[in-house]
Amino acid sequence: MLTSRTFLKRTRAGSVMKVVREHYLREDIACGAAACERCGEGEQPCEPRLEAQPSGAASSLCPAPHYLLPDTNVLLHQIDILEDPVITNVIVLQTVLQEVRKRSAPVYKRIRDVIAKPEKHFYSFTNEHHRQTYIEQEQGETSNDRNDRAIRMAVKWYDEHLKKLNNEETIQVILLTNDRSNKEKAVEEGLTAYTCEEYIKSLIANPDLVDRLASVSDEGKDIESGRIIFSEHLPLSKLQQGIKSGVYLQGTFRANRENYLEATVWVHGDAEENKEIIIQGLKNLNRAVHEDIVAVELLAKDEWVAPSSVVLQDEGQNEDDDENEEEKENILKSSINKNMLRPSGRVVGIIKRNWRPFCGMLSKSHIKEARRHLFTPADRRIPRIRIETRQASTLEGQRIIVAIDGWPRNSRYPNGHFVKNLGTAGDKETETEVLLLEHDVPHQPFSQAVLNFLPKMPWSITEEDMKVREDLRYLCVCSVDPPGCTDIDDALHCRELENGNLEAGVHIADVSHFIRPGNALDQESAKRGTTVYLCEKRIDMVPELLSSNLCSLRSNVDRLAFSCIWEMNHNAEILKTRFTKSVINSKASLTYAEAQMRIDSASMKDNITTSLRGLNKLAKLLKKRRIDNGALTLSSPEVRFHIDSETHDPIDLQTKELKETNSMVEEFMLLANISVAKKIHEEFSEHALLRKHPAPPPSNYDILVKAARSKNLEIKTDSAKALADTLDKAESPDFPYLNTLLRILATRCMMQAVYFCSGMDNDFHHYGLASPIYTHFTSPIRRYADIIVHRLLAVAIGADGTYPELTDKHKLADLCKNLNYRHKMAQYAQRASVAFHTQLFFKNKGVVNEEAYILFVRKNAIVVLIPKYGLEGTVFFEEKDKPKPKLSYNDEVPSLTVEKTTFYVFDKVKVNIVLDASNIQHQKIRMGLLEPKILESGVPNQTTELSTNNEPAKKKTKK
Amino acid sequence: MAGLELLSDEGYRVDGRRAGELRKVRARMGVFAQADGSAYIEQGNTKVLAVVYGPHEMRGSRSKALHDRALVNCQYSMATFSTGERKRRPHGDRKSSEMTLHLKQTFEAAILTQLYPRSQIDIYVQVLQADGGNYCASVNAATLATIDAGIPMRDYVCASSAGFIEDTPLADLNYVEEAAGGPQVALALLPKSDQIALLEMNSRLHEDHLDQVIEAAIKACKDIYTVLDQVVREHVHEVTTLLGE
Amino acid sequence: MAPPVRCCVPGERLCSLEEGAAGSGTYTRHGYVCASLAGCLLKTSEDGALPVVSVVRDAESQLLPDVGAVVTCKVCSINSRFAKVHILYIGSTPLKSTFRGTIRREDIRATEKDKVEVYKSFRPGDIVLAKVISLGDMQSNYLLSTAENELGVVVAHSEAGAQMVPISWCEMQCPRTHSKELRKVARVQPEFLQT
Repeated sequence: MLTSRTFLKRTRAGSVMKVVREHYLREDIACGAAACERCGEGEQPCEPRLEAQPSGAASSLCPAPHYLLPDTNVLLHQIDILEDPVITNVIVLQTVLQEVRKRSAPVYKRIRDVIAKPEKHFYSFTNEHHRQTYIEQEQGETSNDRNDRAIRMAVKWYDEHLKKLNNEETIQVILLTNDRSNKEKAVEEGLTAYTCEEYIKSLIANPDLVDRLASVSDEGKDIESGRIIFSEHLPLSKLQQGIKSGVYLQGTFRANRENYLEATVWVHGDAEENKEIIIQGLKNLNRAVHEDIVAVELLAKDEWVAPSSVVLQDEGQNEDDDENEEEKENILKSSINKNMLRPSGRVVGIIKRNWRPFCGMLSKSHIKEARRHLFTPADRRIPRIRIETRQASTLEGQRIIVAIDGWPRNSRYPNGHFVKNLGTAGDKETETEVLLLEHDVPHQPFSQAVLNFLPKMPWSITEEDMKVREDLRYLCVCSVDPPGCTDIDDALHCRELENGNLEAGVHIADVSHFIRPGNALDQESAKRGTTVYLCEKRIDMVPELLSSNLCSLRSNVDRLAFSCIWEMNHNAEILKTRFTKSVINSKASLTYAEAQMRIDSASMKDNITTSLRGLNKLAKLLKKRRIDNGALTLSSPEVRFHIDSETHDPIDLQTKELKETNSMVEEFMLLANISVAKKIHEEFSEHALLRKHPAPPPSNYDILVKAARSKNLEIKTDSAKALADTLDKAESPDFPYLNTLLRILATRCMMQAVYFCSGMDNDFHHYGLASPIYTHFTSPIRRYADIIVHRLLAVAIGADGTYPELTDKHKLADLCKNLNYRHKMAQYAQRASVAFHTQLFFKNKGVVNEEAYILFVRKNAIVVLIPKYGLEGTVFFEEKDKPKPKLSYNDEVPSLTVEKTTFYVFDKVKVNIVLDASNIQHQKIRMGLLEPKILESGVPNQTTELSTNNEPAKKKTKK
Repeated sequence: MAGLELLSDEGYRVDGRRAGELRKVRARMGVFAQADGSAYIEQGNTKVLAVVYGPHEMRGSRSKALHDRALVNCQYSMATFSTGERKRRPHGDRKSSEMTLHLKQTFEAAILTQLYPRSQIDIYVQVLQADGGNYCASVNAATLATIDAGIPMRDYVCASSAGFIEDTPLADLNYVEEAAGGPQVALALLPKSDQIALLEMNSRLHEDHLDQVIEAAIKACKDIYTVLDQVVREHVHEVTTLLGE
Repeated sequence: MAPPVRCCVPGERLCSLEEGAAGSGTYTRHGYVCASLAGCLLKTSEDGALPVVSVVRDAESQLLPDVGAVVTCKVCSINSRFAKVHILYIGSTPLKSTFRGTIRREDIRATEKDKVEVYKSFRPGDIVLAKVISLGDMQSNYLLSTAENELGVVVAHSEAGAQMVPISWCEMQCPRTHSKELRKVARVQPEFLQT
């Protein structure tokens, strides 16, 4: 098998070292063609991937059947095209794959996914280990040239190899390369080579593919078009030198949402001063895009600028029109206030681009038949992108995805290419897709590699499973969930023991049994981090087979569970806690309402009901004790849409109501989480995954205290307990909704709860729950953190083995970081989804007048809450083109006086709600004040913006 | 940016082998006249020389002698030029003493030491070029040298390493694969009786995978065995025909 | 023509114990005779008895002095209590490396042990035939004995440097000076005469 070997000699930087590596060349590597009989007789015959009769798209350039063989650059830049279903039968060389892997991890992953799809007929040929296609680097040959030669060699080999097939028609191999010299050389050697553009254009039936061609500009072309706008980026080596010596600063570039000519750079590192550098003006921004990692040079002090408060949107239609650019920049500078000057700088180079595909819409060029158009991303922080397309008219009004290819020095806008059409703007599916993309929610269907790790159906519990698990099927377990829930994580039971004590158990789906550490399924779930619930859709963290079937604790089927069982006395004091992997059989899946009904009905006396009553009794005691300890009961207006079953349009809104059973389930989940947290922390003091909720700084409560004072109530905030108590007392007989409003406000004062690794932190306290330690254990189907906690607990009780990553606190800390990010994004996506559905709802309703309460008073607006819809909006009192009303804001109370009307927090007002669709990309709900009437300004003037585009809702907690 | 891909999706390793394949093994016995037995082996780029003296009278302190069997004395060393960077290697550094101990244990299990009470057998191993699997190559070389010396052994001792990457066990790791820091098992096997003379593991590996990895290592050892067996038979044949003439 | 020789390697199973007895270069395991050396298979069968299976090598492998073996050694040093010797041959097999042995005063001859004096029995440089009586212990090495008629000095040189000839069991004579020296002389058996 091993035929020959050669040595590769390399030298490494630093001290010169000779490295000798073996390189085995083989003869048993199959060519992958189905028609080839000689290949694939090796010891590991892999199924031939290339079709015997390639049925790719017909091309006018080469009508004969052919296989494609792209070179590295084609693969790197034109991956969008290669992913198209039209392109099949492609040979991907190992040389190319390795290069791609080195240059771009995301593209590598994508091409790997493509290769994995059988219907694409992609074959990866290991040419570097093939005896006849391996070549050695020649003296004086750069590695790039060598790779190009290796690619040509492979093409040649294929050509000859395929000729020997007993086919009536020889299959051609076409080299796709955009490198001119490579192509010339290939042609010289008698190979068929086309540029990617040539080939794609020749595809007869698919003209639309051309649009997706990335515009990789030829160097030569650039020089002709003259005027250079930007200064050159410095090479990386120089940047690194500069950063080391302190001349340049490295930081993350954050574009300003409001003003496209301004950005800030957050300097990495611990430096106290110059943490935030302002970049103003197109030239200083120097082609950096939001989220890029850049190197910045500080400007001299006399050139420093102040952050402007002007809102500027890049609206120039003509791409080459930048006379007024300078004008705009002057506007920025005119408003300089000496005190406001901040460190300013300019971008000298890009350390790492963070380009991703962007959602947005096409701004069609005014010139008919033009093929160059500008694309406006939904995210205002992203510059507009110039793309080339022939289908502008079809794409108009559609949400599309565009990727940036590059930003030449002479171009006002970056160049990009069209990737995908998501659908008509305003469509439910399209908008959902957009909001998922913009919140970075991984929502692609699970790849085959991931699905391969699912258990084979039909699945059943095996003897081995039973051996290591406790059989709890005899227990009367039931689950209580919201209606329509298919991913049932938890089930409960309660029974009286012989000694008079009560036994309560929480049974959680044993997801970690199915998701083994480190495999593709695990990695994918870890990446997703959480299931995202949108109004009409659920983006699963684990494949549906698990989430809605095997893991879901449905009634009357045997399911694997992880149980947490307490023995309690009748005062709900825990006497004993026990964890075990188990097998359960839920006797009933109830909704909250059904469970409530059973508890309340006097006539029902079956096992399930008794169990529920026992649980309910205990839960009440537990809750009381928890509240006595200072746990907070907070409130946030949550709405649920009644969705039309036919059109899936929301037909009504309803705020969620809470039943006793909700709190019953919640109470036991909290108890389970706390018990598990204690156990895993006891066992793994250094690497337990816990959840903490830091106490907010006292200043956060200012707004709450002030608001309460205006209603003559006192809120104490020195401890969670005091806060809880005073919140309970804060009631007003003539204003029943006040308490809820106060709780909503209190919620806004809170900090975000986060996951963390116990070895990396020493503050474990959960403020909201008033628990010294807390974790997430009860929802492994929808949260990855719970899976990790399950694994930790399993190890702690000896039910499962450990693995290296589990006990590596740095890895765990990284995981926590991702989980926190995913949770935040999922929350934003959820809110955006609610906002979008609210829009849809009001679109159907037209103008609606509703009662509202003032939640906050701002300098020029009031924020109101409409209890009926749980909808929040801002009513502005100023508008363009209108005389400004006289506003006076009192920070102490706080209150806002508009002309002669004064607004206080919690005032009741009446507003009208209407959908403003003037900007299709950023639809808004406008609110106008109806009551009390403000003199000299009619309703239409006071408008509000509820930003319902797909940006993350602004953080509502006050900093 | 991206680390080295040790096992491609097509199933090839960095040097072009498949997961279960060994590197090329070349070996010679009887390379020195002075020593009682000697052998030289190449496993890929790992090159090892082994010589055996004995059994002979105890050297040094007599008190070390064992009254019922022979003492196996090993010494493992690496040539200064054996690695990419030239490095002075004093005797008795931690790594080589550990290796020495491992070799000793391995061969005490294989040599019929009870035939030579109160005597000593010396096995000296030197690594001339290190490219991964030093222990294994040393064991294999020492086996050949011991056979060359005519010291009775229960069986061959064949050793091979195995690693575990991307849920696949890899046999006979080379330096690059070793340096990646994944789990690594070194196993010395008495192939005829399927007895394990020594098993050592570095890094962490999940219990569930251990069997798989050991299985791969055993398979590699048996492959090594076929190669060594051939070498020994050829050598014996050569010597007897020489003698016959 | 000799039948083709079967080569065997360590660990190779040769035959079951019923078919043959384990000879040199072999060991038994689980009822089988296995080779412990690489070499040629040799079956020697004495009529009626089980054939002895052994593996022989071209070069004789290292032998170790065993209790009861007759060895040829050279005296290195003497003192009043013992003589130190180097073992050179075991039987007729030369050793690759020498082993050190000790002949204690009381082991020199079988009778009148208390009257023996070492210097009257051996002198450094003498070649002595001796028998291994013990492998020694922690402190000492091989213990040898010459307390048999066949054992003792076989070759000795006189002070003048000539090889002496034995004249009795306790005296040797220099052929040049005719001076007599005391030795514990071996009655040389014919089988050792060649060496």
